[in-house]
Amino acid sequence: MSTFDNPFDTEGKATKRCGCSCGAHSTQAEHDAAVSRAKAEAEFLKAGEDARVRRVVEAGLMRAVFPNPVQRRAFIKAVGATTAAAAIAQVFPILTAADALAAGGVPEKKDLKVGFIPITCATPIIMAHPMGFYSKQGLNVEVVKTAGWAVIRDKTLNKEYDAAHMLSPMPLAISLGLGSTAVPFTVPAIENVNGQAITLAMKHKDKRDPKQWKGFKFAIPFDYSMHNYLLRYYLAEHGLDPDTDVQLRSVPPPEMVANLRAENIDGFLAPDNICQRAIFDGVGFNHILSKEIWDGHPCCAFAASKAFVTESPNSYGALLRSIIEAAAFASKAENRKQIAEAIAPANYLNAPVTVLEQVLTGTYADGLGEVKKDPNRVTFDPFPWESFAVWMLTQMKRWGQLKGDVDYQGIAKEVFLQTDAVRLMKEAGLTPPTASTKTFAVMGKTFDPSKPKEYLDSFAIKRST
Amino acid sequence: MTQSIEVRASLVSALILVTFLLVWHLAVTGGGSGQAMDPEYAKLMGITATQGKSAMPGPLDVGATLWGHIKDPFYVRGTNDVGLGLQLGHSIMRVMAGYLLAMAVAIPVGFLIGMSPLMSRALDPFIQVLKPISPLAWMPLALYTIKDSGTSAIFVIFICSIWPMLINTAFGVANVRKEWINVARTLEVGPLRKAFTVILPAAAPTIVTGMRISIGIAWLVIVAAEMLVGGTGIGYFVWNEWNNLSITNVITAILVIGFVGMLLDQGLARLGRFVTFPE
Amino acid sequence: MQDRYISIEGISREYPAPGGGTTKIFDDLWMSMSRGEFVAVIGHSGCGKTTVLNILAGLDAPSSGVVIVDGKAIEGPSLDRAVIFQSHALLPWKTALGNVAYAVSSRWPRWSRAEVNAKAMAAIKLVGLEAAADRSPAQLSGGMKQRVGIARALSIDPKILLMDEPFSALDALTRGTLQDEVRNICIETGQTVFMITHDVDEAIYLADKIVLMTNGPGARIAEIVANPLPMGRTRNDVHRHPAYYPVRNHIIDFLVSRSKSFDSEIAAGKPWDSRNPPLVNPAIPEPATLAQVAVAAGAEQAQATQQVFTQAQRRRTT
Repeated sequence: MSTFDNPFDTEGKATKRCGCSCGAHSTQAEHDAAVSRAKAEAEFLKAGEDARVRRVVEAGLMRAVFPNPVQRRAFIKAVGATTAAAAIAQVFPILTAADALAAGGVPEKKDLKVGFIPITCATPIIMAHPMGFYSKQGLNVEVVKTAGWAVIRDKTLNKEYDAAHMLSPMPLAISLGLGSTAVPFTVPAIENVNGQAITLAMKHKDKRDPKQWKGFKFAIPFDYSMHNYLLRYYLAEHGLDPDTDVQLRSVPPPEMVANLRAENIDGFLAPDNICQRAIFDGVGFNHILSKEIWDGHPCCAFAASKAFVTESPNSYGALLRSIIEAAAFASKAENRKQIAEAIAPANYLNAPVTVLEQVLTGTYADGLGEVKKDPNRVTFDPFPWESFAVWMLTQMKRWGQLKGDVDYQGIAKEVFLQTDAVRLMKEAGLTPPTASTKTFAVMGKTFDPSKPKEYLDSFAIKRST
Repeated sequence: MTQSIEVRASLVSALILVTFLLVWHLAVTGGGSGQAMDPEYAKLMGITATQGKSAMPGPLDVGATLWGHIKDPFYVRGTNDVGLGLQLGHSIMRVMAGYLLAMAVAIPVGFLIGMSPLMSRALDPFIQVLKPISPLAWMPLALYTIKDSGTSAIFVIFICSIWPMLINTAFGVANVRKEWINVARTLEVGPLRKAFTVILPAAAPTIVTGMRISIGIAWLVIVAAEMLVGGTGIGYFVWNEWNNLSITNVITAILVIGFVGMLLDQGLARLGRFVTFPE
Repeated sequence: MQDRYISIEGISREYPAPGGGTTKIFDDLWMSMSRGEFVAVIGHSGCGKTTVLNILAGLDAPSSGVVIVDGKAIEGPSLDRAVIFQSHALLPWKTALGNVAYAVSSRWPRWSRAEVNAKAMAAIKLVGLEAAADRSPAQLSGGMKQRVGIARALSIDPKILLMDEPFSALDALTRGTLQDEVRNICIETGQTVFMITHDVDEAIYLADKIVLMTNGPGARIAEIVANPLPMGRTRNDVHRHPAYYPVRNHIIDFLVSRSKSFDSEIAAGKPWDSRNPPLVNPAIPEPATLAQVAVAAGAEQAQATQQVFTQAQRRRTT
């Protein structure tokens, strides 16, 4: 009896071989023959991949319970196939076993929905669609443009989206129950590093020293964003308390340029193409790129619920491989122009190609009459370093978003799936980093992820201790 | 005389329109000339920065865009980019689903309230509290409990269009002339037949007025709701074009929204004339 | 003497008074009507005439007492008792014919549409409106509307016709014409009619008996006037009859003064029994009985009356 035989068949096929149910291994002729041989087999074939895996497990279990084929047939004949299967399921959780078997196999779900916010941070998620990275993994992914961070969060929590583009602190906040109900979320991959900027209104072109910014109104995309933490960090390093000396407002990215034009805000630390768009439309100039605050900082994340990761491990794996490969492709400077054209249409970013090219190639107008060149203005590195998460948690704690004792390393490990990324990068033929932690410097100040508390204590301007 | 006043009114309307378009055109074509720029730099900038063009589009831009949408209303270029006609279709489907659902609830419940002074008093505090809530305030709650943005949008339409219909139905039913009811009573007409042959026709003009108010509100709300949840619909279209700072498309969408809203209103006005009886 | 076809037995009606407690609009009314009789009720506004009619229609219920029709107490509206409303009460979304057909189909729910329309059309013809059958009420004059109301009431072949000031909203000319028609129809069909009116001449012209009610609250039936005028009276000559002015003056006297002072008359010791209000004939000195009325009416009148009766009976049998 083969692994793929129907163990509940009483027609005496216990000794016959039937390759029809082997899926990929069988030819169509064998397959057809099998269908005509037995109705039970036909139903079984129709049931698809899930049922097939399940049937394999059931077959194993039946053999384990009744090693003798004659006894096995007698038992099934006596009680009926359905009852037999039910009886076996009582004593052994078949689904769990099926899941274990399925790991590394065919995606459980091929039609997936992934939400994104139309900013260049989402480049790997978006470009994977027109450039075929999803279909290469056998997935049929629909990338859905979404109106805002709260909506993308709710739609992902509601399982309308299987995975989504989020600001990388958002999965941490969701897992901790900050601003929503606590649902375990994960960051299987970072999308982009750098790629943000502080843009100021044209009227402030002579106020380049942050000390002159007292009373300014700044826009940030969301409370749980790197933009918020980087701007606060930058201001605090220049002696301004971000909560009392300036005003920070959460503003949806499209409204930022309009508000800057209307002089409702003095500037923003925003995701790109928004920053370059303000320059393109002549309403703002580039003060600094975010990489000047922290070169190599993560920004947006590819996020999925823990439930999706555990319930559909194959779909999750395939999706992640697509993102990682797309990010790898996008990390090469020579591909950037091609990407800009692919993601500019109304179906994706809906933005002028000129603006996207400036962001992605790093040859850009600074709004003050100069053309600047910085190939690392934005780059793409999917590796979800746990130390990134630890830094974000220290800032959440610093600005009072997080209260009480924090298990920095524990939460980071739960949410940022560094281990999975290593495995999948290897599968995709990429080289994962060898180091297990990463230390980095923000505005010249070194961050040691093993000592978050000491790091937090070293700041003069903060809300909590 | 009446014809001449109509002719004169249309002439004045046309004059107002032409003046408005002209003023609009002149207002956006003026403005400063471009600054002197390094050509390398200028290539990276938009025309509002290089040529001093107003960020506000003129009537000709809007006209051209509108014509482009009218010529090809049903294209599909991916999940996030479909024609204006299809977007409108999505919005109208949502409005109709929520609206019909609201009708199915509001008219029977309105009947109940209108016919029973007890229920009228018992339900009044709830209606008074729920009625003034902005429909969009329900959106987060709907998203949280229904867990589906499409259904949530329909729910928001439902909740905003139910009140005018409910209140008008209750009012219309409660104020059916006593003598008509007495006619039915002296003829020993059963309650169901009475409801359909006397109360419903008598209250119909009031009910349809409520329906007309409701469809107006529903159409106002769907645009806002779709801007919030996105995905499809005319509201999403506005949001998507705003995202690209394409004021031309936003104005085009505004015109289209106004036109469809007018059609919906006129449809119910026609129904209103049909059920209204002269006394 | 009388077959008590309709018997009003000690009814009263109370309403909650604005300052608490109750107000009795009328109290302890007794009277009866025989089959084929035309009774008019006259009284000032507020004496509860309309309430009495509504109780007869079954639209209202007495606070105490009972009304028995054909041996059964009234428990609600019935198709046997048709109402002609003061304000015509036509359903404005239906045509004239539609309004009548609605009543017909309520009376005979199993009838086909054609049968219903035929019956309704017959009623419309009876009131002479066939040319306007397809018009909506808004397109009809006041008199035509009330004709539709009458046609609707007659179309269901009621045993009793209840009329609540049916002609009060009409202009004098139309009112006169319609009164003639209603009188003819009622005589021809032998209809039992209970009518409320404010109009003394109308009551004298149409009714066999005129019930006088004192002022409300606490209104009573003071007396019942037996109409001494011959059955064959017409509207043009009714005022020339010798009995006309005595009757008219008697009723107007009652309305002007006695309706207010009736309670003190009783207090002063006038014999009066609420269960048996006196039947008076103002054409001859009281006390009067029906027999005396017949004697006093004179041979000529009696002959005329007899003629009308036989005519009516002949019509009824054919």
